[in-house]
Amino acid sequence: MTIEIRNRLGLADVKSDFRHIAGRKIENIHNELLELEAKGEIKVIHITDEHKPIEAETLFGWKKKIPTTKLWHHKSCGQCGNIPGYPVSLLWFMNKFGTEYVDERNQTSCTAWNYHGSATSNPVGLAAVAVRNWHRSYELGLFPLIHCATSFGDYKEMRNLLIENKELRDEVRRIMHKIGRELVIPEEIVHYSEWVHVMRFEIAKLRKYDLSNIITTVHPACHCYKMIPEDCIYDKDIYAGKRTAVSTGVALALGAQVADYSTWYDCCGFGFRHILTEREASRSFVMDRKIRPMVREANSDVCITQDTGCTTTLDKNQWIGKAMGYTEQVPVMADVMFAALVCGADVYKIVQLQWHTTDWRPLCEKIGIDWKKSEEEYNAYLEKLRAGEKPENLYEYA
Amino acid sequence: MEYDENGVSIVSNDFKKEIFEEAKKDFRYEEYVRGCLNCGVCTGGCPPHRFFDFSPRMVLQNCKSNDPALVWGMMDEYIWACFQCFTCAMICPFLNNPGGVIAILREISVRRGFESAKKVLKPYSRVLLKLTAYGNQLSPDMIQPDFFPDWGPHIGYASQDLPLKRKAIPMPTLQVTNLAWDVAPEAMKELYTIFEEAGVFKIIEVVDPSLYEIIQDIVDDVRSE
Ligand code: SF4
Ligand code: SF4
Repeated sequence: MTIEIRNRLGLADVKSDFRHIAGRKIENIHNELLELEAKGEIKVIHITDEHKPIEAETLFGWKKKIPTTKLWHHKSCGQCGNIPGYPVSLLWFMNKFGTEYVDERNQTSCTAWNYHGSATSNPVGLAAVAVRNWHRSYELGLFPLIHCATSFGDYKEMRNLLIENKELRDEVRRIMHKIGRELVIPEEIVHYSEWVHVMRFEIAKLRKYDLSNIITTVHPACHCYKMIPEDCIYDKDIYAGKRTAVSTGVALALGAQVADYSTWYDCCGFGFRHILTEREASRSFVMDRKIRPMVREANSDVCITQDTGCTTTLDKNQWIGKAMGYTEQVPVMADVMFAALVCGADVYKIVQLQWHTTDWRPLCEKIGIDWKKSEEEYNAYLEKLRAGEKPENLYEYA
Repeated sequence: MEYDENGVSIVSNDFKKEIFEEAKKDFRYEEYVRGCLNCGVCTGGCPPHRFFDFSPRMVLQNCKSNDPALVWGMMDEYIWACFQCFTCAMICPFLNNPGGVIAILREISVRRGFESAKKVLKPYSRVLLKLTAYGNQLSPDMIQPDFFPDWGPHIGYASQDLPLKRKAIPMPTLQVTNLAWDVAPEAMKELYTIFEEAGVFKIIEVVDPSLYEIIQDIVDDVRSE
């Protein structure tokens, strides 16, 4: 299927053969990973044909295999606790595509939000938690798909530190033996947005609405593309390969406009600790550096994110801005939620926008989605659950 | 604790040296602190630089100065301004990682239980409890209007009929209110062993002894289940 790409306002569909490498050292950690495996020092969770991988190019033009099935969902505590439509939308797509996956209780948070906020951990603790969760995926014969950008950034960093430091490997291996596990490292650390990116043309086939008049602005997550930047997907056909391609890629494939704005590279203001205990810094940053430029410069209808903390920070901090004369507002949702919305997923039961703070109803109306009907059906569903009916789930869980 | 005119705690020169040596001994230090051009590119892209007296350029310059007093000068409030976004690491032409250096300095600060760390982390204890005792950082029942009044009146939505609304999320693992997902006890127990062996519980004991006791009670309960 040919997708018509429209992008009157932005740079997102600029093409180039020039690759942006910004003078970074070029070291591919994968060779060392395989050497350690050959020496019997570690086990590697390989991406095989069973995972039906699709290749993408990273910052330096290296190939990254993205597994598209047989996946173990490594959930995000922030998403599951506060933006439930985020993982639900992802699983909704996977059900549509017949993707094999497991979502289960036997996993912990990566603990990196806490580390970046409070420093009450250390590389041994972080790496051991990472290996523990990777090993759980390994023993089920599945490949870990990481939902959170901070988990993604942390796991890339822990993977590198483990490969580069024998002392760290020995210490983590010792701890793993205490809990009956082994030192395993995945061949790639894969973020859900990368799955969405390589599946974007399949996703676009499910599109139910015309998005040619919808202007999106993309907020790329710092812990996705600034931590271990060489591991991120870039595409010479998207921003001429000068910005990470995920999220923008799916918005373009769906036929939306992707508009540029001057502070695209800025963080969201989350700050890890600040969002919880020093929120005036977070909210000033949200309004001054993100929302106002998105609205004033790009006339954005929706801000598209790819992470837990960014979605929370950008969505939740707009209301208070009004007290300081910031009248600009824009709904915020993750790429996969936006994609699910325009592919016909229910606004309440699947995309779960009812948990979001900034008004998303004008966006639905502009797209042509009947959110009122969805709300009525959801309220009726809640009453059924209250009366003792079983919930309608996306999968059976023993 | 006494403080100088810049609000920096007064300690002996030997102690300042000891702290700087501890930072330099960290296995990540050499990787994070390379040569600094003093160009300020990192500071130009640093989000909290816009709101606080804080600059990643100064972090690198102070480390490269080899003067323990300058590094000590950052150990109180200074290092806690950082958002840990790693914009600095991505854009530094010398491939320094000022955010990473800050993480090393913060680790020392909490490990040694500095008063500034205790003060900064006091309002954070609810989060620390959730994470270390249950393996999840954020839970639906934490999103309450009294804790997040600045998030607007709609925050009340999450606190009304929460169990029912969580049951309506079509992922069985998410149909709980006190955790982001229903973490299996065997996963929690493994996490406790990791925290013990990696010294994470020890850090919490140093930085917040009463919180540590509460966490240990929960750990004992889960382990005896
Ligand atoms: S990691 Fe810290 S020092 Fe570096 S740019 Fe971000 S906030 Fe600034
Ligand atoms: S740390 Fe890097 S970006 Fe910052 S001043 Fe030094 S050389 Fe420049």
